[in-house]
Amino acid sequence: MNSSFGIRNILQFILFVALQILLMDNLVLFSTGFCFIYIAFLLFLPIDMNRVWLLFLGFLTGFTVDMFYDTMGIHAAASVLLAFLRPHVLNLLTPRDGYDASDSVNIRVMGWRWFLAYCFTLTLFHHAAVFFLETINFQTALYTLGKILASTLFTTTVMVILQLLFFSPKRERIDYR
Amino acid sequence: MRNLFAFIYRFRAFLIFVLLEILCVYLIVRYNTYQGAAFFNSANNYVGQVLEYQSGVTDYFRLTSVNNSLAHENAELRKELMRYRTQQLSDSTNLLDSTFYATTDTSRTAPYILHAGRVINNSVRRMNNYLTLSVGAADGVRPGMGVISPDGVVGRVKTVSRDYATVTSVLHSQMLVSAKIKSSDTFGTIKWTGGDYRRAMLDYIPLHVNPAEGDTVVTSGFNTVFPEGILVGTITSVEKEQDKSFYTIEVQLAVDFAQLSYVYVVENTRKEERENLELEAGIIIDEQ
Repeated sequence: MNSSFGIRNILQFILFVALQILLMDNLVLFSTGFCFIYIAFLLFLPIDMNRVWLLFLGFLTGFTVDMFYDTMGIHAAASVLLAFLRPHVLNLLTPRDGYDASDSVNIRVMGWRWFLAYCFTLTLFHHAAVFFLETINFQTALYTLGKILASTLFTTTVMVILQLLFFSPKRERIDYR
Repeated sequence: MRNLFAFIYRFRAFLIFVLLEILCVYLIVRYNTYQGAAFFNSANNYVGQVLEYQSGVTDYFRLTSVNNSLAHENAELRKELMRYRTQQLSDSTNLLDSTFYATTDTSRTAPYILHAGRVINNSVRRMNNYLTLSVGAADGVRPGMGVISPDGVVGRVKTVSRDYATVTSVLHSQMLVSAKIKSSDTFGTIKWTGGDYRRAMLDYIPLHVNPAEGDTVVTSGFNTVFPEGILVGTITSVEKEQDKSFYTIEVQLAVDFAQLSYVYVVENTRKEERENLELEAGIIIDEQ
């Protein structure tokens, strides 16, 4: 099974969080498009990951980012929400004959449509949680909605680029044998 | 009883989800209270080290502008020093008998001490923006102190660790700065409403005064955080709305928060004395 949480996932955690803190923190498009690439770590975890594990990983990831962003609790809350919704979204998107053991969250294994639907939905929920928790009030709801949409598109695009660059379809198969 | 455990086990994912979210909301609420000290923030030693390393790299790209601003500040200070020197040369009261004023007069000594600090983390585009400085409790920085830059008011220290401090920037939805219009001495409150990081609002200016575009806004000195007369910004628009008893005034902030590199933490040596006195007199100090 490739569902084990291995050294590869730990490396991904460090890489994605570092990318978020060191680079993406300074990269804001037109002061509306934010990129929270660290959630890619949660999205790219093995498909049949234990739900409880996933929730704690979500909390840990969000909490780490919160410490650097001085937004105590906001990213943690959004990431826990994402971790909770992930198995449900995966269920909704199940291919006709279920997931294979060799399936992983990979754009070349699962196809463009599956990947985009999966990433876009979960990113949208996460970003909506982050931006509404940040403002609390609904006075500037329109501006916040704009921010959510622009940021979701931005984050999803970056995730697709990272997938195309660094995730080869072959590696999973070799792992599996 | 067994049924209960079976129930809990069956919904364990949902229950843990709810528990974690409650924990998060608790963290958000606790951290949002103005002076709430928290350990897990960017003043934390490990986090501070990572941020300092990062700014150690990125600062090289800004050396020219940092040098420029420091040289500019030096020039300003020299100009002021020169003025004092010429004043001293032309003024001979000091040479007179000490009957005019006692040389130990404490009103002549400035009660403020400045601690210089490097900005190692900064944001301007969120709803609640914070800065992290590489000075901490070891350098004499305490929570609640004001932070200024050569250009004007920056914010207020929120938490400190041994070597680092987090600062609530003026660009924070709950940060209020007591300010006054310099020409008329009318005081109001500076509040940032989000969006553009160069603009803020000046509230509570009553309708009987006549503020004009271009008027300077400075700190009022009514609380112990900032000294009086530190620049906040200039008025860019004044509007009188029908159903309001105060003006709607927009202020262009003097500090460019995106370009901050070195700031000063203001320590008021008489803070305790003044606050104790005000407390004894029954005045509630508002957190501005």
